[in-house]
Amino acid sequence: MAGNNPMHQFEVHKIGPEIKIAGVDLSFTNASLFMVLSALAICLVLFLGTKEKRLIPNKMQLISELFYNFIAKMISDTAGSKAKPYFPFIFSLFMFVLFCNMLGMLPYSFTVTSHIIVTLLMAIFIFIAVTIIGFIKHGFGYLKLFVPSGVPIVLLPLITVIEIISYLSRPVSLSVRLFANMMAGHTMLKVFGGFVISLGVIGGWLPLSFSVALTGLEILVAFLQAYVFAILTCIYLNDALNLHH
Amino acid sequence: MGDFNDFKTRLKIAKEKITNLDNKNNTENSSFLGNAFKLGTELVSAVLVGTIIGFILDSWFDTKPWLIIIFFFLGSIAGILNIIKAAKRMQQKD
Repeated sequence: MAGNNPMHQFEVHKIGPEIKIAGVDLSFTNASLFMVLSALAICLVLFLGTKEKRLIPNKMQLISELFYNFIAKMISDTAGSKAKPYFPFIFSLFMFVLFCNMLGMLPYSFTVTSHIIVTLLMAIFIFIAVTIIGFIKHGFGYLKLFVPSGVPIVLLPLITVIEIISYLSRPVSLSVRLFANMMAGHTMLKVFGGFVISLGVIGGWLPLSFSVALTGLEILVAFLQAYVFAILTCIYLNDALNLHH
Repeated sequence: MGDFNDFKTRLKIAKEKITNLDNKNNTENSSFLGNAFKLGTELVSAVLVGTIIGFILDSWFDTKPWLIIIFFFLGSIAGILNIIKAAKRMQQKD
């Protein structure tokens, strides 16, 4: 039965012995395995890409330069030159999400980003970091973000509450978007795969062709979600660095 | 020396072509699709956050149904505000 359940692929199970430190379960799971694998894959790609610095790049160097240029351009377009010091953070964030998503596309693998706790933790980290950066750069002037200019005094308390809710909704929308897209896509793939088996040789061709098309779509979504995650981080960073309201 | 200047201008033209190409193809396609994915959750998440805040405040002040109702509507307004902000940002880029 477990093979037929489309949600079975999201189950976390322990690998190796159970590790408990101060009552907290820190066992190595398949989720941690795939996080380590994607981190290693990123290191490998970038190491091979930068090993030989040629004027005419080979394929690996081309890939890593492509990633670098893509993120550098995204940061300078959306957050301006002031955001340059945050390049390493956004680059690693983008690469991690991208590689987790892409490794999840392999058969029998585990998609780390389809668990809301992973995406929510990243989003909350970004949210707190951006808030701290905003307060460091502007002091209490950062609170002007919640008080748009040109609003009548009568409406001000209402608008401020609405702006605060809008600000607090950032980590939720950031994490739910990534998690929901990955989980929905992978469930859909599994369901269509199940149709192929149950309809057999005669009727199975239609869901099989759907499955192929969906796999292509999922690869696109895997890239796009990493892109959206990184670009929204840039936009939030832009709000914190260049306060204009 | 003349040869050198000629090469310089040719290089400049080639570089301009490359930057134009980059601008058109790479970023625009992906940012359109990215925007399309962005909007839906912007609305939902604000409503969710508003409702949760209302729920928490209700259990703090013992005003059971009222604050959750008020904050649900405030959250909806905040969601629409999010959408308007995102749409404005998209228009700025074009």
